[in-house]
Amino acid sequence: MNTLRLMAVFFRVSVLNETAYRVNFFLQLFQSLLELGTALAGLAVIFSYTNSLGGWSPNEMLALVGVYFLVGGIISLVIQPGMSALIDSVRDGTLDFTLTKPEDAQLLVSIQRVAIWSLLDLLMGTGVLVTALVRLGQSIGAAQAAGFVGMLLAGAVIVYSFWLILASLSFWLVRVENLLEIFQSMYQAGRWPVSLYPGWLRFALTFIVPVAFATSVPAEALTGRLNGTTLLGAVGLAILLSAIARLIWQLGLRHYSGASA
Amino acid sequence: MSEPAVHLNGLCKTYRVAERESGMGAAMRSLFHRRMQEVQAVDGLTFDLVPGEVVGFLGPNGAGKTTTLKMLSGLLHPTGGEGRVLGHVPWKRERAFLRQITLVMGQRNQLVWDIPAADSFELNRVIYRLPKADFRRTLDELTELLELGPLLKKPVRNLSLGERMKCEIAAALLHRPQVVFLDEPTIGLDVTMQRRIRTFIAEYNHRSGATVLLTSHYMADVEALCKRVIVIHHGRLLFDGDLADLVQQFTAHKTIVVQLEDCHANLHSYGEVLNCEDGRFTLRVPKAKTARVTERLLADLPVIDLLVEDPPIEEVIDQVFTQEPA
Amino acid sequence: MSVPEELSSLLRLYGQQFKTTFASMVQYRASLFIWMIAQVLEPLVYLIVWSTVSNGSGGSVGGYTAQGFAGYYLALMLVNQVTYTWVMYEYEYRVRQGGLSFALLKPVHPIHSDISDNLSSKLVTMPILLVVAGVLAVIFRPTAALSLWAVLAFIPALILAFLVRFLLEWTLALAAFWTTRVNAINQVYFILMLFLAGQIAPLTLFPHWIQILADILPFQWMLGFPVELVLGRLTQLQALEGLAAQAAWAILSLVLVRLVWRAGVRVYSAVGA
Repeated sequence: MNTLRLMAVFFRVSVLNETAYRVNFFLQLFQSLLELGTALAGLAVIFSYTNSLGGWSPNEMLALVGVYFLVGGIISLVIQPGMSALIDSVRDGTLDFTLTKPEDAQLLVSIQRVAIWSLLDLLMGTGVLVTALVRLGQSIGAAQAAGFVGMLLAGAVIVYSFWLILASLSFWLVRVENLLEIFQSMYQAGRWPVSLYPGWLRFALTFIVPVAFATSVPAEALTGRLNGTTLLGAVGLAILLSAIARLIWQLGLRHYSGASA
Repeated sequence: MSEPAVHLNGLCKTYRVAERESGMGAAMRSLFHRRMQEVQAVDGLTFDLVPGEVVGFLGPNGAGKTTTLKMLSGLLHPTGGEGRVLGHVPWKRERAFLRQITLVMGQRNQLVWDIPAADSFELNRVIYRLPKADFRRTLDELTELLELGPLLKKPVRNLSLGERMKCEIAAALLHRPQVVFLDEPTIGLDVTMQRRIRTFIAEYNHRSGATVLLTSHYMADVEALCKRVIVIHHGRLLFDGDLADLVQQFTAHKTIVVQLEDCHANLHSYGEVLNCEDGRFTLRVPKAKTARVTERLLADLPVIDLLVEDPPIEEVIDQVFTQEPA
Repeated sequence: MSVPEELSSLLRLYGQQFKTTFASMVQYRASLFIWMIAQVLEPLVYLIVWSTVSNGSGGSVGGYTAQGFAGYYLALMLVNQVTYTWVMYEYEYRVRQGGLSFALLKPVHPIHSDISDNLSSKLVTMPILLVVAGVLAVIFRPTAALSLWAVLAFIPALILAFLVRFLLEWTLALAAFWTTRVNAINQVYFILMLFLAGQIAPLTLFPHWIQILADILPFQWMLGFPVELVLGRLTQLQALEGLAAQAAWAILSLVLVRLVWRAGVRVYSAVGA
């Protein structure tokens, strides 16, 4: 389908863009390794004092860290760059060029930029995840694996929709660049299972800034903690939020082009 | 008569702008009550473009040219009136419509900054779903016409302003649009480059039969390319017709250039002396009196050479703009 | 200019800076709000994690109960707010945009406007943070062994902590003169702060060799030391030793600031503004 071909060519453009700056690769590698090292050292300190953190064993926590980097990598690879570029293009008017193209504008702005060096985070996260699964020893049943992939997909859709809603606010408000950072600020809380947090914080991390769906929920699915309600809730929220995001996006476009409300 | 390529009827666009005075008091008040002002950017514009025409769209800054172009390319919804381009309503943004038009904006780039232009072209190829063979053929033709050869492999950021503009134009024409909207395409370019681009537009129109609507500040663009000009001011149509007629209609004067021995003579009784250089006087004379003044000059003075001209087009246009709309 | 004249002109400079900072903060309300979320969330997360560990290990870990951790991390949040700087980002931006030239043209050392900008911002954000800390205190019920001498000693400790941290981070910010890759340098610095200043865990929870390392390096003296002091976790001897270490680092960092600034200006002028 043309959508796939579009994604491929945008990806290619981003690769060409980034490889123009070779140093960035080594820099990103260095920084990603540092981040991972910090997370692992933190775990080491915690687990020198206990064997279980709120019911999570060291290897299960390792799996959570793996998911954290994996999903973090996806976000900084394809979600954050496009949404950030969208806000810029609304401000300087280059969105007009996108709007004269015969393709769905939401698709174009979402795939327009790929920060390819974030693939490193993705790979690192996958590596940590695999290590954790190996160490966990237990064979992951088909149901658990399916649940994990499903929750990962639902989480990605939820996070993408959330970012799109925030970025679309730039159609109405002026200084929105910093608004995107709200997710990054709160994402750090996703390194630990959401079940540790008091109710009000858990609520904020689930329904206000959906960090929980990005990291905790897929990790819970993987470690066999997921209950049916959460699973259905995640899928339901993914569908609902993507519909809301699409609606807000279209309203934003109408506002941008001065259509009668 | 065949369907016009571009059709506008009473097209209007009104903006609501927030009013704000300076100072702390006004700032505080504006938090609670915002006074909105209505700005009429385009006010009842009506005209038709025949397929294959190259039309100049003139007007001072803020006249509504860019707003009109944005409405015709589907970027803006009008507040009133109707418009059709190639049979489509532009602001419905139908895919079939978007595939047949293009918009080039002189001060903004669509090319990706850090990579060679050729790669941005490839991007457009996929977006417009152009078959490889057609794409290749079009690109070769554009490369030849615009002399793009050595430019394609360089990252866009390394190109000069003029080279970048040529690549932008090429990128915009890869899908062989039927209607081309050009918004100040030669702005900021040196004279040679302006001329090259003008030549290109004329040649492109000749080869492809595309309808071109061109806005520009530079009279040279319009003189070179457009037989027909549309002049707007304060969002309203001031003139729509041949450039020659524009000059005829809006000028009440003619220019007489008289070559004498030197600049010592006093010619104030013949007309308004605009300047004199090496004995070459430039006089401005009311149109009706041109014949009589010419007669008297030839009779009274040792004229070496005499020329009767229309005033420069810039002057005409200025004249047009200073007239309040009827 | 005589000393009193210099001081009064500096004071006027600080006063003026406050007005400017306040005006721009009103503009950037949204990003301030988001920044504050991050400032609160990080210690809060560690508070919760360590409380969980402590509750699951029979009530206390390394001398801290859950409420002990609450006290530690709330104090840490407030001390961090006082000593925190953002000069590294400023200088990277300034060097990139060429705005540093203006600073170099002024007859006053640029560090003064940076200090006053820093303190002015905190005057605005501190009250809000105190309210947040108050609310969190109600939720998490912190405990601490407060004593008069410790609270009194806390004041110079806090001031010295601010000085050491500001001067060293300002020196680090000047790396922007030499390289554009300051993000990597900053990241290394933040990680060192995370572990060795008592953020990821109170320093007493670390193995002995890390604690020795933390004693030698300056990070602890910027953050963790005043926190432990005010919570009553140090003996009077330890407090005195700590204050001495802070004073030593303050002097050292002042020397560093002078040296690196001079070198940096030379590099900057050589390359061309």
